[in-house]
Amino acid sequence: METRKKRPVWVSPWDYAEGWLFVAGLLLTGLALQLIKGGLTREALSWPVNGIIGLLLTVSIVIGWIFFRKNNLINWLSRVPAAITSITMITFLVLLMGFTLQEDAKNPLWVQKLGLSNMTSSWPFLLGIVFFLCALGMATMKRLTPFSGRNIGFFLNHAGLYIIVLAGILGAADLNRFTMHLQEGEVVWFANDDHGHQIPMPLALELKSFNMEEFNPKVTVINPADNSMIQEAIPDMFEIKDGNRGTILGYDIEIKKFMMLSSMIEDRYEAVNNFGAAPSAFVHVTAPDGSVKEGWVSSGSFMMPHRFLELNKMYSLAMTLPQSSHYSSDVMIYTQSGDVYEQRIEVNHPVSVEGWKLYQYSYDDRFGRWSPTSVIEVIRDPWLPVVYTGIFMVLIGSIYLMTQGKAPEKYEGDE
Amino acid sequence: MSVFFFSEKSRALNVIAHLLYISGVLILTLFAILLWQELDRPPLRTLGETRLWYALFLPLTGYITYLRWNYRWIIYYSGFMAIVFLGINLIYPDNYDRTLMPALQSVWFIPHVIVYIFAYAILGVSALVAIKGLYTEYFGKGKDWSPQLADNLVYLGLGFLTLGLLFGALWGKDAWGHYWTWDPKETWAFLTWIGYLAYIHFRYHKPQKVISAMWILALAFVFLLICWFGVNYLPSAANSVHTYTQ
Repeated sequence: METRKKRPVWVSPWDYAEGWLFVAGLLLTGLALQLIKGGLTREALSWPVNGIIGLLLTVSIVIGWIFFRKNNLINWLSRVPAAITSITMITFLVLLMGFTLQEDAKNPLWVQKLGLSNMTSSWPFLLGIVFFLCALGMATMKRLTPFSGRNIGFFLNHAGLYIIVLAGILGAADLNRFTMHLQEGEVVWFANDDHGHQIPMPLALELKSFNMEEFNPKVTVINPADNSMIQEAIPDMFEIKDGNRGTILGYDIEIKKFMMLSSMIEDRYEAVNNFGAAPSAFVHVTAPDGSVKEGWVSSGSFMMPHRFLELNKMYSLAMTLPQSSHYSSDVMIYTQSGDVYEQRIEVNHPVSVEGWKLYQYSYDDRFGRWSPTSVIEVIRDPWLPVVYTGIFMVLIGSIYLMTQGKAPEKYEGDE
Repeated sequence: MSVFFFSEKSRALNVIAHLLYISGVLILTLFAILLWQELDRPPLRTLGETRLWYALFLPLTGYITYLRWNYRWIIYYSGFMAIVFLGINLIYPDNYDRTLMPALQSVWFIPHVIVYIFAYAILGVSALVAIKGLYTEYFGKGKDWSPQLADNLVYLGLGFLTLGLLFGALWGKDAWGHYWTWDPKETWAFLTWIGYLAYIHFRYHKPQKVISAMWILALAFVFLLICWFGVNYLPSAANSVHTYTQ
């Protein structure tokens, strides 16, 4: 395939060969730093260090292009060979990451030493990203000077990506993610970090109530010997609802009555709304041999035992545990400026207070809908508006990209 | 289901073939809508459900590509792939259930997944073009081929892929607290995305090196497949929040 003459390396203009050497150099340097100094810590980059680095990098790219664009390195960074080699370097590193569980403790020591199990905090990754950003930045500058309206799509995609990657990486150092463990009726001013340390918060939360709605449970057949589900029954499991009817393993099952919240009274179930209430259903079963059986099934709760309906020695009818469809916490929020207000924090609907976002994180799953506690995650990410600016630019840019198709020409093969 | 409608290979009865093809796509659309109503949630949660949408979008993309650029072979392959995917769904029926975990109940859920599957379908067709291209180059057969066609599909597919990725990021911020966490699915989505990025840049710079470009395109599709369902089986995905319910 190679038809052109061999070009000596490091003679201008630089091309792919220089790119690969560059990548090899960066990988070796990164590896050496990784082995000598160990992985990077997030905190090392916290404000204002990250702001200064971001500004310095961006200003050097702008100045580099404006005053030194004839320089071999600068000129090369602005062209496709640098883009492709830096993309390849990132792809290679992320590919390693894609095959390695990103958790130090679960990997052998040599994997940890090389930084493979913590790729995004490793030196080779950092150097790769810097190379990638320099190429991306130079390419943006090249198309910006002289400015032309035709290049707007190119600019949105390249500058937008530059902003996302730069702000995403630098901003990670300023990202705060804590959890607040709330008990009903208790005002909490502290959050906990990953290591269990208490962090004072500029706001306080008080849990008013934890709310949960659940999907109806399903009816299935289990082996009463070890309470395991019969595999063949799984595809035919169906939702428990008044009047629903289905066939599992030849048994015709009809739901006569269903209660989401009920309590066992003597040998039957009655609808109640007590702490610890469980779902129950009265079912009518016709066996393959025509015999009929009726009875109660219940998934039980932390307070009540479950209940099966025996079909024969091998099979019992059972109710699955209901799965949550929504859960949320009603909380009072107290801020330092003296504001007090009530808010509902729900999954997918975080609440913003004074630069923090509050997320419904978890609850005590032993108690399910009756959980007396709720865990709220509190997150502060001051770089988010910058990243969103980049995301917004690339969103528009990607629509521009879709319009780039040209009418294809038929391929002229070498026949 | 409407499997057989796709097996049209008629040349003489062109009109009937078109009608059958369109009705096949329409019936699949109708099926997806009915399933949506029946389940009372968007049918986008399980791998099988994503296969259904893929089987809908792939022939649609193939059909539009055919209408726009008149490559007849595309329609056969995309139709055939759709049949394979529907076949898998028929052999391994899902237990269709209505439950949808709270984190998935978001306005972003539908745009994120639909845009992604649409991108997958378009890029799937571009992978067919790449394989056809490599076949043409190595065996010198089948002139009905153009690298430009692959470019067009990749521009379109990468555009949708980017939209899907960014919708996912915006959703992730609301549901899980951060827009990017290098979850294994995200890692592979990034690899897929950057693979197509490499293709576009390489094509732009070295338009005459068709074979290398087609290899990049085929490799990018391998990343896409790993991202779509391979991730479920990777050891690195043990803690992923993204694996499909089986």
